[in-house]
Amino acid sequence: MERKKEVMIGNYAIARGLVEAGIDLAAAYPGTPSSEILPGIIEFNKREKGSTYAEWSVNERCALEVAIGAAMIGKKSACMMKQVGLNVAFPPLPSFDELKIRGGLVMVVCDDPGPQSSQTEQDTRLISVLMDIAYFEPSSPDEAADIAYYAMNYSYEHKLPVIIRSTHRVSHARQAVSIFPKGKRIVDLKEGVLNKTNGNLEGSKLGIVSSGMTYSTTLDVLKEMGLDNIIPVFKVTSIMKGKISGDKNKGIIEFVDKVEHVLVLEETDAVLELLIGKNGKVLGRNTGHVPSAGELTYNVIRDILGDVLESLKITKKKFFYDYEIEDATKEIHIVQRPPKLCAGCPHRATFYAMKEAFPEAVFPGDIGCYTLGTSLGAVDTCIDMGGGINIASGFYDAYNQDGALIPIIATIGDSTFFHAGITPLYDAVKKNKRFMLIIMDNGTTAMTGMQPTPQTGITAQGELNKPILIEDMVSSLGIDFLKVVDPYDVPLMINTIKDAYNFLSLEIKKAAPAVIIARRECVLSSRGKEKPKYEEIPLEKTCIGCRTCIDYFGCPAIQFDDDKNQVIIDEGLCTKCGVCLFVCPMI
Amino acid sequence: MNKTKRIFEQTPETMEIICAGIGGRGVLLASTLLIECAVDADLSAIASDEYGMSQRGGSVVSHVKIGDAKSPVVGRENAHVLLAFEESEFYRNLTFIRRGGLAIINSRNTSIFESVDKVLKKRNIAYFLIDGDKIAKEKGMIQASNMAILGFFSAFSIGPYNHDALRHTIEKKVKESLVLKNIEVFEEGFLKAVSLSKNL
Repeated sequence: MERKKEVMIGNYAIARGLVEAGIDLAAAYPGTPSSEILPGIIEFNKREKGSTYAEWSVNERCALEVAIGAAMIGKKSACMMKQVGLNVAFPPLPSFDELKIRGGLVMVVCDDPGPQSSQTEQDTRLISVLMDIAYFEPSSPDEAADIAYYAMNYSYEHKLPVIIRSTHRVSHARQAVSIFPKGKRIVDLKEGVLNKTNGNLEGSKLGIVSSGMTYSTTLDVLKEMGLDNIIPVFKVTSIMKGKISGDKNKGIIEFVDKVEHVLVLEETDAVLELLIGKNGKVLGRNTGHVPSAGELTYNVIRDILGDVLESLKITKKKFFYDYEIEDATKEIHIVQRPPKLCAGCPHRATFYAMKEAFPEAVFPGDIGCYTLGTSLGAVDTCIDMGGGINIASGFYDAYNQDGALIPIIATIGDSTFFHAGITPLYDAVKKNKRFMLIIMDNGTTAMTGMQPTPQTGITAQGELNKPILIEDMVSSLGIDFLKVVDPYDVPLMINTIKDAYNFLSLEIKKAAPAVIIARRECVLSSRGKEKPKYEEIPLEKTCIGCRTCIDYFGCPAIQFDDDKNQVIIDEGLCTKCGVCLFVCPMI
Repeated sequence: MNKTKRIFEQTPETMEIICAGIGGRGVLLASTLLIECAVDADLSAIASDEYGMSQRGGSVVSHVKIGDAKSPVVGRENAHVLLAFEESEFYRNLTFIRRGGLAIINSRNTSIFESVDKVLKKRNIAYFLIDGDKIAKEKGMIQASNMAILGFFSAFSIGPYNHDALRHTIEKKVKESLVLKNIEVFEEGFLKAVSLSKNL
């Protein structure tokens, strides 16, 4: 049979494998690097004219428990999340041992070594091993499709929940992936030593145990060194029920026993290393041969291998950096490009108003695009989804105890509010915590790629359901101060923030906290929908080079020209929102 | 004297390409086209896209490997080709280019810093500056400067990336409403390289 191939990212490959395996239900909360799997399932299901039901859940726990319910009835179900989403979905996991499913249950969890787009690194395999849940780990997009297919069928046949653990380098790698008709995929999961060494492991001075994208990168590095056919590399594709002593994984132990030294290369924690044990023989994170945190990039692996091969007196293959390249750019001004809120982002306007109203305030923040408010000095904390509201409560108690009068202005996005903000806010109301909460409502989950929120009523399939308004939810929690403001109206926003502070200081018989909903559609989705507010932004004309807008506003469309000592507007980026006109002291 | 063979004298078995630029300016589209084009030529290929921050004006680097590679991640001093869609991103990603490699830089400048020119010459790295933004603007599509760079690159005919093959991939993969403009910019970039080679 001729195999059909299509270029796609790893997340779509996972979706493809699940659809081919006949998935009935999929539920997910978006989170980088996992967000594209659910849309992939919807797309492939449409193409195959299937009847898979897919939904965006309000949070990861909802996603997992919905999937559990369907699996109990006998459906093939799956949920998707990022690694820190697993923390939210954690409560049912310890009960998995006694969980009776009649169908299949696959949890797809995408880790973020680095981290590149998360508050922390976290290794999902640790949770899998701790909870005795079998996991599978793909090393490329092509393999990810096979693994997704296999894992769903494995779960269905054995009536056991399983985890697929991906990382961003697999989820977001792009490759030609084999496509099969539904139910017809031929899977040959590869595990063990796959590189063509002479086969005789006895007496091998060094063997490598690796998994996932780290395995793939390790092979590429060995190839560069000319050692890919000399150093045996054991690929670990799955760990069944938290053990490596079982039938499926006993090959690892045999491999480790035969070679003289074992180097374990894995992301991001020492999971395989701990399972293998064998003190003295194993080199890895615990022996300092592998860095204790961060992504194992090509360079990192090349350096590790160079050092290990030399210290074991196998060969001298250390890669020496040509530092003349760095020397050549030392004197050059390279524009720094940290991620910024977009030009025209309503969040920036809100943050500016907050700082203008109460520069001395403390600002508990939350997780989303608006975490970037740190660069505007308007986000002081960022712990986890919904954490900002509870932290604001804690701040209030602490200040109150000490008699300190410090305004507390917390922020949370609309999607995050639905995800994890409602319970903390209700808790704060019950205890009359006197802080201000600004819900930054841009009508979408912008950070992860514009997934709809419950407020829009739009489903994952793009159909319109009943919208649930944030103000209705907030007022039903018993909040007495509630205002909805367009953040582009900077003076009104500043006044509303001051009103909220007065309310919290004076109206002591009414329920706190005070809530402001800063509502304006995300610029990424509103682009082209409405006419710009201003025809022209006269910032360049009035500029005296004071840099106020650069230092306190930081819009990417405003750049400073050192030669001319004035700002220039990047017409390609500027949305003509005119918020900067409130910032410029000359206008 | 440095004897490293230059990339366009001998196509390597495995080719590694870095696309570097700013979020929202077509870096990911360029790397997608490179990988699709390689697959059309029956080569295996893998690329690493960067998401998350890419829409927010941050630096974006996309790695592409063609041929016998397992991982998309390119190592320091290993890239045969650096396509820089913006000048600062060129300097930031200099360490990727291997000896004998090739760099194409989108810039309105006609020369690069002397210190960098010196180190590139020492490492036998060929580089070309092309004002892709100007070309794209002239064709009425400011966002399409990436196509000018790809057009310029196609003139070197390295591996699967010759003019006809890349043009075909663009026609196949770019949104229908944008194809014509994109092709115009691509062709202009290609012609720039051709006229340059005639002048040499």
